[in-house]
Amino acid sequence: MAEPAISSFDVLVIGGGAAGVAAAAELASAGLSVALAEQRPTLGGAYHRQPVGGSARQLRGQRQWLRLLRGLAGAGVEQRLGHVFIGLESDGIAMLDDRAARRIRSIKARALVIAVGAIERVLPRPGWQLDGVMTSGGLQMLLKETGGVPPGDLLIAGSGPLNVAVAADLIRLGRPPVAVIENGNPFARPGAALRLAAHPGLVAEAARHLARLASARVPWLRGSALAAIERRDGRLRATVRMPGGGSRMFAADIVALHDGIRPNAFGLPAETQAQPIVVRAGDCREALGIRAAVADGRHAARQVAAMLAGTVRDGSADRKIGRQRRAQAILHELFRPVDGYGLAALPDDTILCRCEGRTVGDLRLMLAETDAPGLREIKLNGRFGMGLCQGRFCADAVRDMVAAARPAVDGGASGPLSRDRWPLRPASIAALAADDELQEGK
Amino acid sequence: MGASIGGKTVVVVGAGIVGAATAYFLSRSGFAVRLLDANAPASAASGAADGAVSVASKRPGPMMTAALAGIALYRRLERDGPLGGLFHERPTIMVAEDEHEAETLRGHAEALAGAGKQLRHFEGTALPSYLPSVSAHVRLAVEVGEEGHAIGYEVVRRLIAASGVAVERTTPVLELVKSSSARSIAAVATPRGPIEADHFVIAAGGGSAELLGLSGTVRPRKGQLVVTERAPALNASLPGSLMSCRYLLSKDAILAAGGAAGRRFGLVIDPLRTGQFLIGGTREESGDTSNDLAAVRIMLASAVRLLPGIARLRALRAFAGVRSATSDGLPLVGRVPGYDNLIVATGFEGDGICLGPLMGRTVSRLIAGEDCELDLAPFAPGRFERRSLVA
Amino acid sequence: MTTGSFAWRGATIPFHPGESVASALMRAGVLQLGQDGAGCRLRYFCGIGACQSCLVSVGGTIVEACLTPAGDDLNIKAVEDEDG
Repeated sequence: MAEPAISSFDVLVIGGGAAGVAAAAELASAGLSVALAEQRPTLGGAYHRQPVGGSARQLRGQRQWLRLLRGLAGAGVEQRLGHVFIGLESDGIAMLDDRAARRIRSIKARALVIAVGAIERVLPRPGWQLDGVMTSGGLQMLLKETGGVPPGDLLIAGSGPLNVAVAADLIRLGRPPVAVIENGNPFARPGAALRLAAHPGLVAEAARHLARLASARVPWLRGSALAAIERRDGRLRATVRMPGGGSRMFAADIVALHDGIRPNAFGLPAETQAQPIVVRAGDCREALGIRAAVADGRHAARQVAAMLAGTVRDGSADRKIGRQRRAQAILHELFRPVDGYGLAALPDDTILCRCEGRTVGDLRLMLAETDAPGLREIKLNGRFGMGLCQGRFCADAVRDMVAAARPAVDGGASGPLSRDRWPLRPASIAALAADDELQEGK
Repeated sequence: MGASIGGKTVVVVGAGIVGAATAYFLSRSGFAVRLLDANAPASAASGAADGAVSVASKRPGPMMTAALAGIALYRRLERDGPLGGLFHERPTIMVAEDEHEAETLRGHAEALAGAGKQLRHFEGTALPSYLPSVSAHVRLAVEVGEEGHAIGYEVVRRLIAASGVAVERTTPVLELVKSSSARSIAAVATPRGPIEADHFVIAAGGGSAELLGLSGTVRPRKGQLVVTERAPALNASLPGSLMSCRYLLSKDAILAAGGAAGRRFGLVIDPLRTGQFLIGGTREESGDTSNDLAAVRIMLASAVRLLPGIARLRALRAFAGVRSATSDGLPLVGRVPGYDNLIVATGFEGDGICLGPLMGRTVSRLIAGEDCELDLAPFAPGRFERRSLVA
Repeated sequence: MTTGSFAWRGATIPFHPGESVASALMRAGVLQLGQDGAGCRLRYFCGIGACQSCLVSVGGTIVEACLTPAGDDLNIKAVEDEDG
C-alpha cells in the first residue's frame, strides 16, 4: 500500500535554529507530536551554524547549543532536514520542499510554530550586486562552517554590532579586515552607552571585540559611510565617505555589508488562532537576537500547547524577552547613523532589485508619473520584487523610497510588496509535479 | 446602433482592461472621463491573467469574430501606439498528444482555416525539428499564426497613461442613482459622495454583477496559474505558446456544478519574453484566488509530460485570477435595457485581455453614436430575461 | 581534512564532508558564479537561502549553493553553463 500522502502532527515547527529547537523540545515534552523542518542539512540556523569536518572550538554559544540539542534528543521530535517550508495551501496543509528527494511533503498540523529567523538589512549602494560582495552575517556563517576565511582582503561596512563581531572573528582566525566602516558613532551616544550598563553581558562582549580590533589595529571608522563599490583591475574598490567630508578608497577582495537585521517574515502566514494555529518565535517574530531566541521559542511552545488544550495562557511576555527588547533598543540607538542614510542621494544606476536588474532610476521614473500608482502596481509594472528572492532584499528599500516620494501612496491595491502566497521560495517543478500520491478525483 | 445623448462626461466604473481601454478611447473622442476603481488598476482579473490574445481555442461564432477583431486592434495599437512594446506577437501551437486528440484538433483546425487563420500542420518526422524540446509522444501540432500575448496590467497602465485620466482608486460604487424620470442614471454613489455624469459604463468584471442585479447571470470562474524561473534556451526553443488541445474541452460552457468534480484543466505553456514560462490553468466555479497543491500538481505534471525540460525549473510564483463567466459563454456588452445612458461591458471569461481594447473602442463608439463595426446583438445585456438589470 | 572533490568549470574543488557547495567554492577562492537567466551576477551573499544569488546548477536543477551539501557525484555547473 502506498505511504499516506499527508503526515499528521500536532505541531510543525519550521526552523532548526535556537528558537525552533527550543520550541520543538518544549512541545514534545508537553506530550504533543512534533515535526521539526529545517532547510539546511543540519540544525543550527544562523547563530549556531555548525562547523563541518572539524572541531567545535572557537564557536560562541556552543555550550548552549549542545544543551538545546540534548533537550531535543529523545524527545521524539521528527526531524525533517533539508526541507524548505514553501507555504500553507488553501486548506491549511503545510508544504515542505524535500530537497534531497525532490518531493513536496504535505504535513497536516494542528499548529505551526514558525522560527525561520532574521534576515539582514542591506541598503542599496552602487556595486552591492558585484561578485565578492556579501552580507556580514553570510560571511560569519562561512567562518563558522569552515573554520577558515575566504582568500583575499576583507572590508566590513554598514552599521551595527554584528559587523564588530565579525571583525573580531576574522582577527581570531588570523585574517584581520582592512577596516570596519560604521555609519553610526556609538562613542558619541553617551546616554545610550550608560543605559547599556544594565546589560553587562553585552558590554563585556563589546569590550572584548573592540579590544581585539584595537590590538590588531583594525580601524573602526565611525561616522563613515560606504558610498560605492566598483570592480577595477580584478579587485573591489570601495569609496568611503569620511566624517567631516572627504573620501577614502579601500581595495579589497571581499566586501561584507550589513545594516541591521529584521524578521525574515516575507510571505509567512499570519499568526492566527484558527486552524491551523500559527505562531511565530524567535527572530522572525521580533529581531531580538540570540539571547532572546531560546526563551521566545519556549514561550511560543507554551502558548501553542495552551491553545491546543483549549486553556488560556497568561499572555504576558517572558521577562527575558522584555529585557532583550530594551537591550536591542539601546543598541539601535547606539548605532544610529550619524547622518540619515540618503536613499535620495543614490545615483540612478544603483541596483535596487538585483534579481530583475531594476535600478533606483527606474523607480524614480515611475514615481514621477502623474498618476500615483499603489505599491502592487509599482511592483508589477516596475518588476521590483518580482524576481527569485521575492522581494526579500529590495522590498524595504522600495517601500522606503516610495514612502519618501509619496507619503500618501497606496490608496488601493494595498498589501506589501511581497504577498502571502505560496510558494514562499522557488520550488522544484519536478517535486511539485510528482504525482505519486495525489490525484484529482481519488 | 443607439442614439447618443449630447453630454460629454462619462463615469467608467472599473479600471481593469475594459475600463482602461474605454477611458482611453473616450478621451481620444473628446469625452471627459472619470475612471473609478474599488481598489486599483488591474487589481482583479486583468492583473492575474494568462495574457493570451488569441482565437486558437475558439469555435466559429460571435466570440471568434470578436477575437479576430481584437487581435487586429492589438497589432494596430502596437504599431501605431499606445501599446508599443506590449504586444508580443507569437503563434499559438495547438498540440494533440494522442490520436483522439489529433482527430479533434484536425477538425478544429479546419474551422480555424475557414475563419481565415493562417495555419501550419506538423506531424511525424516534421515535429522534432519544429518542436525540438517537446515530448516525442505528441502526434500533431497545428501552428496558428497571427496570435500574441500581452501582460494585462502593463496594457492597463499604458492605456490609462495615454488617456490622461487619473484613476480614482479605492472608490467603490455602492449603487447607481436613477434620475427622477427613472429612465436614466443620474449618478453613482460612492463613499465620497455621488458622482454625476452624462453617461455611465460598468466595466467592473465580477463587481458588475451586484451593481446591475446580475448575480447569477455573471459568475466567477477561477483560473490558477504558475510562473517559472527563467530558462532562456528552453524558452527560445518554443516557436510559440503551447496549448494542449484538451483546452478546447476545458472552455465548454456547460460545467458540472461546484466543487472539485466540476473543475477543468487545460494546459497552456506560454514562453514569456523574460525567458520565464507561464503555465496554466484551471477553470473552477469559484471566486477565491488561492492555489491548491492538487491543481498545481496536475498542471505541472501535464506541463512536464509535454515539455520535459520544465521539470528541472523551479516555480517562482503561483496565483489565480477570477474570470467573469456567463451561462451562455457570451459577454454582456451594450446598453442596459430601460436606461438611455447606461452601458455594461463584462462577462468576458477568459477573453478579457484579447477583447479589452476592442471593447473599450466599441463602448466609446456606442456612446459617441458612431458605428461600432462589431455586431453587438449576441452580447445584448437584455437577453437574460426575468430580472431587471438594475436592482 | 578534505574528503571529496567536485568539478567546477574545469577546476577541482575539494570539500569537507557536510559542507555546502557555497563554502567549498568560497574556500577555493571562487567568488564568481557567472550569470543568471536575467543577466545578473551570481555570487554568495546572504548564506540563508533567501537572496537567490548563489545559484548553481546541480544535476540540471538550479539550487542555492549555500543550502546544498557538496558531494563527489554531483554534476555541478554554473547556471549559465547548463544547457537550457
